[in-house]
Amino acid sequence: MSEPLRHALPTPQPVSTDPTHTWESAFQMYYVELCEYVLRFVGSAGVAEDLVHDLFLCLWDSRARRGDVDLTRSYLYVAARNRALKYLRHRRVAAAWIERAAREETPTASSPEDLYLRSELADAVARAIAELPARCREVFVLRRHQHLRYHEIAARAGVSLGTVKSQMWRATVLLKEKLAPYLFIL
Amino acid sequence: MFEQADLLRLIEGDCSPEEAATIQAWVAADPRRGELLDQLRGVWRLTGGTTREWGIPESHERSERGRPALQLVPLRRRWWTAPWATAIAAAAIAVLVVGSLRVFFNRPVGAPHAYATARGQLSSLTLPDGSRVLLGADTRLRVPRDYGVSSRTVDLEGEAYFAVEYDAKRPFIVRTEHGSTQDLGTEFAVRAYRQEPAVEVVVAEGRVALRGLRGADPVLVTLYPRERAVLDPGGETTVMRDVPLAQYLAWTRGALMFDDAPLARVIAQLERWYDLEIETTDAALANERVTISFMSKSADEAVKVLAQVLDVRSTRSGRLVQLIPVHPRH
Repeated sequence: MSEPLRHALPTPQPVSTDPTHTWESAFQMYYVELCEYVLRFVGSAGVAEDLVHDLFLCLWDSRARRGDVDLTRSYLYVAARNRALKYLRHRRVAAAWIERAAREETPTASSPEDLYLRSELADAVARAIAELPARCREVFVLRRHQHLRYHEIAARAGVSLGTVKSQMWRATVLLKEKLAPYLFIL
Repeated sequence: MFEQADLLRLIEGDCSPEEAATIQAWVAADPRRGELLDQLRGVWRLTGGTTREWGIPESHERSERGRPALQLVPLRRRWWTAPWATAIAAAAIAVLVVGSLRVFFNRPVGAPHAYATARGQLSSLTLPDGSRVLLGADTRLRVPRDYGVSSRTVDLEGEAYFAVEYDAKRPFIVRTEHGSTQDLGTEFAVRAYRQEPAVEVVVAEGRVALRGLRGADPVLVTLYPRERAVLDPGGETTVMRDVPLAQYLAWTRGALMFDDAPLARVIAQLERWYDLEIETTDAALANERVTISFMSKSADEAVKVLAQVLDVRSTRSGRLVQLIPVHPRH
């Protein structure tokens, strides 16, 4: 008994590779993630939230039929993706965009190892942000880390809305260049 | 017409559906724009967690009605608690202070990582030193930010199985409400649910020392493989030797096994495992001891098995299960 356990741990069977969830734990765990994912397809936060909300409502209503505990991460992603693509078709969004969106990959589950790996990127990212010109940096940090709205940033920094937007764009482009080697590794 | 800067609005979702569709068409018309979009998204991914703060809709409240709220620490943490974010936050603070701009980061820097499972869920994780942890249902594990720097102490509420990379210089310690368990090179399970008064430790490999809660407390007992200790809140330790590991560690393989266990314990575990509320009206039933195992993922099947063994009728409506005696008990 003692020996097999060591091998059993990394992929505990049968629940843990893609654990099944109750509606509640699926919601807690994946609501935000799925909104982020669907946003990549639809580009409008309101629409993304509506689509994910509808998905969970639909799952809630079908709880009795499904027997409660068969929700998995991969199931949720497939369901969310189908809804997003259906929405794009329904809205008659450009076919070329739908084709592009259909190639959108499901993000891999972020494990504690990933977070650990990410911690090694922290220096590079922090340095890149610190090296931005002062005005750019202020705007970027307020927007990206404090989630302030553009007009709030404008009021706070005492500049025009146009300036905030152009500084934000400038910051993003500079970071894109500084962080080029890391952009696609996660 | 559009400029590249409009791509940010698409990434952040600050568009009406119509605007989004127009920008999307613009992106799709030229592969270079798509490439740029991907790069900008890369910047977003590296510099923060979520693209925005998402609201929690009513669909959630709907499920909450009529039952106690589940306390759950989200596994997917907000960006400012992610390890890489602290450094950014620190840099940002320095920057903003220099810019004499007043900002308040009200999250304490150095907050521990919290991992949690809901009822009906298991999860595994690997700590930075390679030690592995399997979390049982309805369990919380806190790992300090400086884990592994000079010590490796984690806080547990619930049940977890640990496979620890031994390091004599940095002892691995599991703290629970009533006692702490220090690994001496080993694999072991700790069970300390808040609803249960005792801490239980089962050792599969190696050695484990059990102490009182304060680090300086003397070692109460050292456990060897196939030994199980129960530390009650009064500080009394009971050790059982040569216990069936398969039974106590069955949960690590997705099964539950009980051998002559009080029904209350079986019910408590089924509630966690299948996310149920199980009630019985018969007080005599509560005193029963049962030998039973559950291998199924289906809550209905588990309830059926339990009802069969107890020789009672069961009804289920959503999460609520009632066990109703058919024969009078003695």
